[in-house]
Amino acid sequence: MEQVTHAGPGPSAAGAARTGRYDIRGLAEPDATAPETAVITGQSAELDAADLTTRQINLELRRLLAAGVTDVTLLNPRARHSIAVGLLLRCRIRISGSLGYFACGLIDGPEIHITGRVGWSAAENMMSGVVVVDKNAGSLTGAAMRGGDLVVRGHVGARTGIDQKGGTIIVGGNAGSMTGFMLQRGRQIICGDVGAGLGDSMYDGAIYVGGAIASLGVDCVEAEFTAADEELIDRKFRIYQLDRPASFRKFTCGRKLWNYDNLEPSERKLVL
Amino acid sequence: MMTSGSQSIDTEELTGRTFPYQFDRSLVEDVDLGEATPGQDLNWLEDIELMTEDGVNAVFDRYTNAFLKIYFEIPEGRENEFARKVLIKHLREGNSYGIWLKHQHAKFPQAELGSWRDGSATVGANWSPPRPADPT
Repeated sequence: MEQVTHAGPGPSAAGAARTGRYDIRGLAEPDATAPETAVITGQSAELDAADLTTRQINLELRRLLAAGVTDVTLLNPRARHSIAVGLLLRCRIRISGSLGYFACGLIDGPEIHITGRVGWSAAENMMSGVVVVDKNAGSLTGAAMRGGDLVVRGHVGARTGIDQKGGTIIVGGNAGSMTGFMLQRGRQIICGDVGAGLGDSMYDGAIYVGGAIASLGVDCVEAEFTAADEELIDRKFRIYQLDRPASFRKFTCGRKLWNYDNLEPSERKLVL
Repeated sequence: MMTSGSQSIDTEELTGRTFPYQFDRSLVEDVDLGEATPGQDLNWLEDIELMTEDGVNAVFDRYTNAFLKIYFEIPEGRENEFARKVLIKHLREGNSYGIWLKHQHAKFPQAELGSWRDGSATVGANWSPPRPADPT
């Protein structure tokens, strides 16, 4: 591959200090290569991440998927940040342990199961796929998500699904303040309680809440719970084998902030 | 395809052509939507619905940020199904304009056709930064 590097000061100065150069694309470790330490059995592989850097882990994942491996088990992730990001292929990844922030971001296709916790912004910008987190997640879970299912069996922090443009976020526990802030499309299903400002400035989409609600945000209103809502929730809970609360309340946009008529056609597409 | 003083970003304008499956329903009948998506249900396609652009049926291609018009007649009650089938066909055939741009702009090696088709070409392996314009 052609080297894409520049000498001199730049935004990746820390990387430059380690390697003597930096990458114009922003790579922290421009010289890293896939360690080729995974144990491959047929179409499955097991990767021990204990002694690998973040970039080495991600390079190894990409190497495995490019080689036709479809099932990967990642051991000892040690809560590293930005693991399993930018994966654009159908595959199954099981992460045994916890991850830090920006876990599984920018993915399109993978089905990922994380047995531990995740930091903020898990599955941000996911286009399609499935991410299941067995324990808790931080704030901004599913930020700007475009599609797919994001399931957190535990609790989540604030601003879950901020700027969400599609897909379904399911939370088995409680959610923090400003849940669904600026939600534009898609669905959120919160089994427990939610903090103040639910659905603040949401433009579209739906939020279902099974527990208590501290307060609604601007332009968030309660809506009728329909048979289609019932089917959606039943289906998702069956797929992910979640315990369903006795009932849900549904919240949508009150449309007081809608200005679609004033948008140029190209601007309208930005919220689809 | 110009609309009220602003430039359209319709798929046909971006690509300069139309595609057979926009006109012929039989070309998309056999698209298996369940097989085309991850997970146990329609996953991301659940958000894809039949819409209209310039008064014509259309499906929104989020990989291009543009509408793809559908000219064939759609049976009543199957509107979203056919919108989804046309979109999947469009992506699998490699005709999404946003995907065309990968050849020039992808900065990291990746499958050209992403998760929609196995064995597609790798793009982005030889990206180089754009050269600054010559001030003269």
